[in-house]
Amino acid sequence: MMSGLKILLQQKKAVAGLIIIVALCLMALFAPVIAPGAPSARVGRSHQPPTVEHVFGTTKMGRDVYTQFVWGSRTSLAVGFATGIAITIVGTAIGLIAGYAGGRTDAALDLATNAVLVIPNIPLLILLASFAGTVGPLAIMAIIALTSWPWGARMTRSQTMALRNRDFVTAARMIGEPAWRVLFVELLPNLLPLIGINLVGSIIYAVVAQTTLEYLGFGDPLQVTWGTMLYNAQNSSAIILGAWWDIGAPAAGIALIGLGLALVNFTFDEIANPQLRSGPALTRWLRLNRQRNRSLGGAR
Amino acid sequence: MYISPRRLGVYAVALAFAIVMNFTVPRLMPGSPVDAMIAQLGPRATPAAIEAIKARFGAVEAPITAQFLDYLKGLATLDLGVSVKYYPQTVTEVLARSTLWTLFLVVTAITFSLVVGTLLGAIAAWRRGGRFDTVVSPFSVVMIAVPPVIIALSALFVFGVSLRWFPVGYAYDPSLDPGINFTFAGSVFYHAILPVLTLSPYLIGEFQTTMRSSMISVLGEDYVTMGRAKGLTAATVMLGYGARNAMLPVLTNLALMLGAVFGGSIVTEIVFNYPGLGLTLFTASVARDYPVIQGQLLLMTLATLGANLLVDIIYGVIDPRLRDASA
Repeated sequence: MMSGLKILLQQKKAVAGLIIIVALCLMALFAPVIAPGAPSARVGRSHQPPTVEHVFGTTKMGRDVYTQFVWGSRTSLAVGFATGIAITIVGTAIGLIAGYAGGRTDAALDLATNAVLVIPNIPLLILLASFAGTVGPLAIMAIIALTSWPWGARMTRSQTMALRNRDFVTAARMIGEPAWRVLFVELLPNLLPLIGINLVGSIIYAVVAQTTLEYLGFGDPLQVTWGTMLYNAQNSSAIILGAWWDIGAPAAGIALIGLGLALVNFTFDEIANPQLRSGPALTRWLRLNRQRNRSLGGAR
Repeated sequence: MYISPRRLGVYAVALAFAIVMNFTVPRLMPGSPVDAMIAQLGPRATPAAIEAIKARFGAVEAPITAQFLDYLKGLATLDLGVSVKYYPQTVTEVLARSTLWTLFLVVTAITFSLVVGTLLGAIAAWRRGGRFDTVVSPFSVVMIAVPPVIIALSALFVFGVSLRWFPVGYAYDPSLDPGINFTFAGSVFYHAILPVLTLSPYLIGEFQTTMRSSMISVLGEDYVTMGRAKGLTAATVMLGYGARNAMLPVLTNLALMLGAVFGGSIVTEIVFNYPGLGLTLFTASVARDYPVIQGQLLLMTLATLGANLLVDIIYGVIDPRLRDASA
């Protein structure tokens, strides 16, 4: 795990991604310090362009876009990360059990995984959300987590199947370790890189899905999040009126967190799957190979 | 032609799941959707309409199994109920109006992205570690992570509102009469450009990433070395030997991504006010037009399953190993 972190920090892309993510998280954490005042207070005229006083301009209701942007990051990031973690836990558990148990359990779980995988997610989310009326962040989290675990489950299952017949697993079973121990103590640590990829991918998906649902008006309109900001901006025809700052601020926030996560995931992918490596890592590897060949006495 | 019974089982379970969700969700929700819908109908709430809605959403005195059987009978006869918003139109009529537009949008975007994405992926794999690869490949991953909402809104603002290069709504110029002529086709094409370009970045990113990794492993195969040794041109080896065989995982991925494509088209249609299924779903969800929302889920599930089946068949045709397995 430590060596994984070290490789991660050697990659420029991953470092750039981590910086973006950490900066946004710090902004959310210190919202009361960097943007004092209530995000839904009316502080100016309608749709004022950015000025020194309102650096990101104001909304149609005369609310400060900067304050909303900073405070909105709290719910958006919290829900995104928490949902991503929930998706990963469900997917990993189902994949682990299916891959390890085999037989009928596997057949049933695999069937369920593939079936949920082919059902279009967003229409299903809209069905659930529209019957539930407006839904708070917790309900959005539950709805997304329940419909989007299959990707991770599939990956985890095939990896578990590859591992389950290795000697160390057989040995653990022979000395009579209970199944839960084999699963969580023996197998799970070997799946960590995969779980990392799954987690980052799930957070990306959760941010996208949450934004989409809130933009469509299923969010709680009283909560300030990047998604409801987009919804309110859309409803006040901000784009047609030329109030680009009203849409631009939350859009930039979502695009930034997506960018940061994507950069980290790209590097994760390269670590877990060295074949895909490009750029400095690959050149380093080629150079290493050449040196190794030379040290073998130049016998090529 | 060969499709494994296992795959068919998956499709059957997926369809059953969608149907059961449609049946149970309205019955489980707190509050009564029936009252909300009758209120929505307002003066149009004839006794017949109220009766139809009650039967459909479980506000009747009948055992749950009988209700479910009734529901299935309705589905089998393509009776999806009546729309609350567009009453007395039926759900089937409402959906039929918009399906073609979504199909046009989605198929165009997929075709365009498939060509661009696989080509970018193939070149990136061919020159792995080169400048092209180090720029294009991370960019593709980022494209997958940016929600369609953001791309749609930015495109609308920049190219629609500010530069006025493209129209900001509708599928064709409303002053034109629909017909098969160049002016109308041109208008349809012109109105589709921004929505298609909005749907594409995600797809191109996915296709590029899958194609690149699949192509990298194919390029390691002996027959590729053999092609090079024969002195074939780089283009022949790359496209005829490499890309052709690397396409299979891309096709699998395409089938799995269709659900996400529909999700993207929903958002795109809403932003560009494009009269497809997505916009219909949106107006339905704003009006709490539950029958239309349910019909939508069913239709999109069926479309995804159909497309998956199609990919399964194509897969069997182009992969000789599967053909042999069925013999």
